[in-house]
Amino acid sequence: MIKFYIDGREVTAKKGETILQVARREGIYIPTMCYLPKVKPIESCRLCVVEVEGVEGFVLSCQTPPTPDIKVKTNSAELFTHRQNIMKLYDVNHPLECGVCDKSGECDLQNKTLEFMVNSQEFTAKDQNRKIKDWNYIQYDPSLCILCEKCVHVCNEVIGDDAIEIEYGGYKSQIIPKDAPTLECTFCGECIAVCPVGALISKDFQYSANAWELRRVPAACAHCSAACHLYYEIKHASIDNPEPKIYRVKNEYEFANLCGAGRFGFDFENKAVKDENAFNNALKAFKKADTIKFNSIITNEEALILQKLKEKFGFKLINNEAKAYQKFLKKYSEFSGRTLYSADLEDIKNSDFIIIFGTMVATDNPAVRYAMTVSNRKRNSEIINFHPMEDELLKNVVTKFVRYEVGTEEGVMAMLANALLSKEDKENIDKEWFEDLDIGYLSAESNVGEEEIEDVLKRLTRKRRVRAKRSTLILGEDLYTHPRAENIARLAGLIDRFTDFDVMIIPPRTNTLGVSLICDLDEEEGEFVIGYNTEGDFVLSALGDGDLDMPALNQQEGTFTNIDKRVVPTNVALPYEGYVLNDIARALGVSDKEYTIEFTKELPKEKGFKAIDFDELPNYFTNAGQEERGYILESNKVAISRERVEEIEELPEFNGIVVYRCEPVLQFNPFTAKTHQLNFSSELVGSKQFSIAAKLKDGDEVVIKTSFGEIKRVFRIDTSLKGTIGLLETFDMGLSYFDILSDYRYQVIKIEKASGQ
Amino acid sequence: MLEEKLKEGEKVSKVYFSCWRDEFIDNRGKPIEEWAESSYNFPVNYNIDINSKAFIGWDGFALFDENVDVVRLAAEYAKQYQIYSEACGRCAPGRWGGRILYDLFDKIARGEGEKSDVEHLKEVSRTMMETSKCEIGRTVPRPLLSILEYFEEDINSLIENKKPSPHYYEDINYIAKVTAPCMDACPAHVDIPAYIEGVRDLRFDDSLQATRKTMPLAHTCGRVCPHPCEDACRRANLDEPISIMELKRIGADFEDNHGLFWLHPKEQKPLNGKKVAIIGAGPAGLTGAYYLALEGVACDIYEELPVLGGEVAVGVPEYRMPVGKYNKDIEAVASLNGVKFITGKRVTADDMRRFEKEYDAILVATGTRISKKVRAKNEREEIKGYWGAINFLDCVNLYVKYGIPVPKEIQEQQMLDKDYVDLTGKTVVCVGGGFTSMDVVRCAVRANAKKVIMLYRRDEATIIRNTTYEEYHEAVEEGVEFIFYSAVEEIITDENDRLKKLKVNRFELVPDPNGGRPQLVKIEGADFEIECDYLIPAVSQSADLSHLPEEWEIELTSWGTIKTDGKTYMSSRKGVFAAGDCEYGPMTIVNAVGQAKRAASVMSRYVQTGEVTLTDEEIMEDHLRNLKVYDKKEKITGWLPGLPRVVSEKLTVEERKDNNKEVNLGFTQEEAIAEAERCMRCYYIAMVAI
Repeated sequence: MIKFYIDGREVTAKKGETILQVARREGIYIPTMCYLPKVKPIESCRLCVVEVEGVEGFVLSCQTPPTPDIKVKTNSAELFTHRQNIMKLYDVNHPLECGVCDKSGECDLQNKTLEFMVNSQEFTAKDQNRKIKDWNYIQYDPSLCILCEKCVHVCNEVIGDDAIEIEYGGYKSQIIPKDAPTLECTFCGECIAVCPVGALISKDFQYSANAWELRRVPAACAHCSAACHLYYEIKHASIDNPEPKIYRVKNEYEFANLCGAGRFGFDFENKAVKDENAFNNALKAFKKADTIKFNSIITNEEALILQKLKEKFGFKLINNEAKAYQKFLKKYSEFSGRTLYSADLEDIKNSDFIIIFGTMVATDNPAVRYAMTVSNRKRNSEIINFHPMEDELLKNVVTKFVRYEVGTEEGVMAMLANALLSKEDKENIDKEWFEDLDIGYLSAESNVGEEEIEDVLKRLTRKRRVRAKRSTLILGEDLYTHPRAENIARLAGLIDRFTDFDVMIIPPRTNTLGVSLICDLDEEEGEFVIGYNTEGDFVLSALGDGDLDMPALNQQEGTFTNIDKRVVPTNVALPYEGYVLNDIARALGVSDKEYTIEFTKELPKEKGFKAIDFDELPNYFTNAGQEERGYILESNKVAISRERVEEIEELPEFNGIVVYRCEPVLQFNPFTAKTHQLNFSSELVGSKQFSIAAKLKDGDEVVIKTSFGEIKRVFRIDTSLKGTIGLLETFDMGLSYFDILSDYRYQVIKIEKASGQ
Repeated sequence: MLEEKLKEGEKVSKVYFSCWRDEFIDNRGKPIEEWAESSYNFPVNYNIDINSKAFIGWDGFALFDENVDVVRLAAEYAKQYQIYSEACGRCAPGRWGGRILYDLFDKIARGEGEKSDVEHLKEVSRTMMETSKCEIGRTVPRPLLSILEYFEEDINSLIENKKPSPHYYEDINYIAKVTAPCMDACPAHVDIPAYIEGVRDLRFDDSLQATRKTMPLAHTCGRVCPHPCEDACRRANLDEPISIMELKRIGADFEDNHGLFWLHPKEQKPLNGKKVAIIGAGPAGLTGAYYLALEGVACDIYEELPVLGGEVAVGVPEYRMPVGKYNKDIEAVASLNGVKFITGKRVTADDMRRFEKEYDAILVATGTRISKKVRAKNEREEIKGYWGAINFLDCVNLYVKYGIPVPKEIQEQQMLDKDYVDLTGKTVVCVGGGFTSMDVVRCAVRANAKKVIMLYRRDEATIIRNTTYEEYHEAVEEGVEFIFYSAVEEIITDENDRLKKLKVNRFELVPDPNGGRPQLVKIEGADFEIECDYLIPAVSQSADLSHLPEEWEIELTSWGTIKTDGKTYMSSRKGVFAAGDCEYGPMTIVNAVGQAKRAASVMSRYVQTGEVTLTDEEIMEDHLRNLKVYDKKEKITGWLPGLPRVVSEKLTVEERKDNNKEVNLGFTQEEAIAEAERCMRCYYIAMVAI
């Protein structure tokens, strides 16, 4: 802790904090144009210079840590003049097109120009003819660009795409795609978010609304379990249509991130009116039914209603994806001794050593990828990726890739546990089990060399020697639906309990964690099935193709339990005129609430939820970047199971054409696929090698025989892929998508070219 | 020695007008014979053929004749600042301010200026000087303001008469160069602020590419460079110098960690059919090959040893320079098209004669691999236990790094009962005081010697100056006994010609009563004896040039190294170039890299044109080296003092002394970034008008 003074006020800096960070935390204003808290200080704008008593010249506050007892002055006549001069320079030849600029009204350049009272251009420089660039979802106008470099930094330091860079050249400097003729990236759109001016904008949004006309609804992203904070921005649809419409999504870009699906895939709402007939049919169906089948793209409150329906009427609750996760988490708990997994995204960001296992994480859960990017850039963390397929998107983040054979996850986990647990711990846990482990066999069948595991350990030892503080094991969806999932979970629990590794068990869908905590799920479905966003004998659907319409998650208020074990609120962006689940529950006498959110405070305390009213849940970030959204679940102690870890089963082999269920960048599920900017079709994607093995050409239409039936796809070659496993995309399969999630993600398929070719 | 080599230019400069640092000379209105001279070493003669008209830079400007158009000079200087993209475009005051400086000066020079333009120039200059990100933005306005001040009348008359400046439309050549005190001090002129900026911005690929522009051995010189740059770091004027050297490996490790091979500084040119023979695969040979190949020239590199890397491979021990990391540097060179290594091949004079016909040029980079004697009585190579440092380190390192056993005849000569160097129970005396001797004693500790003694003629401070504080300190920690002010007088052997003991003289430093340098004087009667098993002379090394055909009559220096002009590195024989220790005498890795980089540049043109030339960039590099960029006395403003230099963690003595683990654990990422943030980006721009 360093004590010093800002404008006469005594303040203290933590280790590594800069003068500007302390000022922001303390609510003291220092102007900036290029400062972005979530990346390293950029230092391009120079507005944040301050005076320090006894130091000649000005000191840059954004990157300078204070020394003890210095007296900092954030403002003076001279500082004002220099800042004003800088703004004069920024304004030189800046196109006077505020009237049609998307950024007008929320533009940092406008704001600071006014703040520093620059009302005329006194200097001239020869104007330049600069071309506007069209980069898919993004438009870049170099003449509006002030070269603050925020976009370049966020792309490299947080996202990891590292897709843009500055073409240096003084006055001619501009942003260009890095090593490519046009922008090739995951289109997270963070560059748009952080751009302080109208240089980088969303093409879809351009010329559609003025910033000040839009109403902001704070919400949580509904697409994956990161449930990132976002704002839906709303205005009436057009002059002749007063209906509200979402024009765009924005985020608290200074502290939080958002992927492209969250940013561009926002209009998945289900427009509906009250259809009494359908509602009555629904009630009849509920009376007839013995099963409710649903998915995890629902709120905690809806999950609670379903649980209450079960408790009252004895419905079987079927959600295979959440069930698999629930079982995995339960076994893990019995061996780790805690109800919840130990790591969150912040822990990943602060990790020095990460093992990630069983997930194609850049598309499964981009927030985890971003956290790993931060840890690698800022901490040079070792990141070991265990997976059958190398992910090109993780190339500049992962430090070692360990490939294993499809299906051998249990064996790999056993090898990992054997390596990470100390000799002593192994003796205490189950000496015999570890002694009986046939590492030679596991290594041969999984194709993970013993020397590779040794190398992982060597790297861990090296990291620990250089003051490494935190290690994290991240587990993903491949493992939960593995036939030996529970044994894998047992081993994960042991690693959590006995080593200094924290463990994250990525919830595979938006609210899988919430559902798995709230609902008592069944294995076998009964005779008559109500499908809630899944197929069934009577279907309630927010996709609009069921027997009774339901609101989509941008039309609901409620909470999700996200990957950080945080209960986060979301709000109604668009009105919904139809019936909601609570209406059915009321009609069936299960609910006495007028609004679904009245259930928020009734979420099960024994699972770690708190009795807090929905309206009392905070939803903001502090000046210092602290996330204040909802609350974090309590992780409770669990009695350690007396059960032994089971013997490792014979490792399976997958012969033939193997595909991996994996969605592409920007897609998660039928809700993302439904939005107008992300409305594309699923494909079968493979490497060159795969195409040869499967005898396919790029563009072939194929019929694929899968465990869930025959599906049609167009085949595409992706030259960045390696190996012989194909990627089977399924995001546009509508309601049936949710049925296939219970299967192990890899399967052997048969492919035929579609007839007529 | 380095200093002497560089002081080739004149000591004083004849100027018409100059203001530079604290010196102000105004010869306006005086006849040329009465001109006062400047004590600074300005580039008065651009090269042999061309005289300079003026010089302008970060600290002021100098006019070498009366007819210099100062307004245009100012405009061109501002323009060069615009053009040099390395250092601009990164901050608001610099990016736009620099442009406005240029536009306004040019407007005045064109004859379209107004009074208000001068005011705006001053205003913009002031903000640039106070708030720019790098020194380049802070210093470019400085000489411009001086011109506004000292040539106010000339400027006013242009404005009033609306006339263009006198030589506005003439064809004058302006040659500019960006430098920095650290870059200037680095023999390889590595773009240090750029690679540090890469670390600071977490753009590690950019960092590595910046290093590799002039330095292919990023892993190596991120570990074992004696970093002369740090002695010229401006941050030292404020608090402590940046830990420049260690930041170099961050980029290289990033490439290695993520398998991003290879991040070359630019795309290799297609092979142009020209071919060069390089003798020696040490730092100089590797560097020569790298930059020749990047220019499209194929290189065959002949290496006598069975392994690549020269002295860094077989001289520098594993605990300082892990061979795995060095091999990455070597692989980066090998990854280029047209680079071919031939190992285990000792080049003879006949080979050289053949090479001259078969290749378009030859680069000799054979280093200095003969250990000099300590000049004691009875000093003979045949003595058992008398072991030259170079051979001793070869034996140690070839085994430790590559598993190559000590040859039978050396085992016999040095009484080894194993096929590697095991000194268990032995006493080792090393005579030295430089890096090589430090390597010897610390390797001897690791070979389990009972006792290791270093004899040095001078004192502790000198040994630290000749090596580094860390090196000396670590050797002491590991148990090496240092005996200062001492020298071996006689080697005493037993009946089997085995080393038995040494007779050692003691010296003292006697001040010169006339105020000259103190002299080392032997203390009579203070002699003593040391019983020991080995004497390892590590006083210096000389070059083995037996492969140069006699009839070529290649000129040598008084040190017995190949003589060149120190600029183009061509020897007295056309087409035969020399770089590294075989040219300079035993020096540093970075010196070898710098020389070889320059030689490669000259050779890449020579093989095409047959002419030996320097680029403007290189000419300016040499001029600035003569002028000296770093000013130890300069006062630093605009930075908060008192942020300490970060020191990386080292293995403890217990962890390191019986093995070859790398001693320096390097910076953690947070340490590296914090250290990079201390860098003040002291880029400067200098320009000559010819």
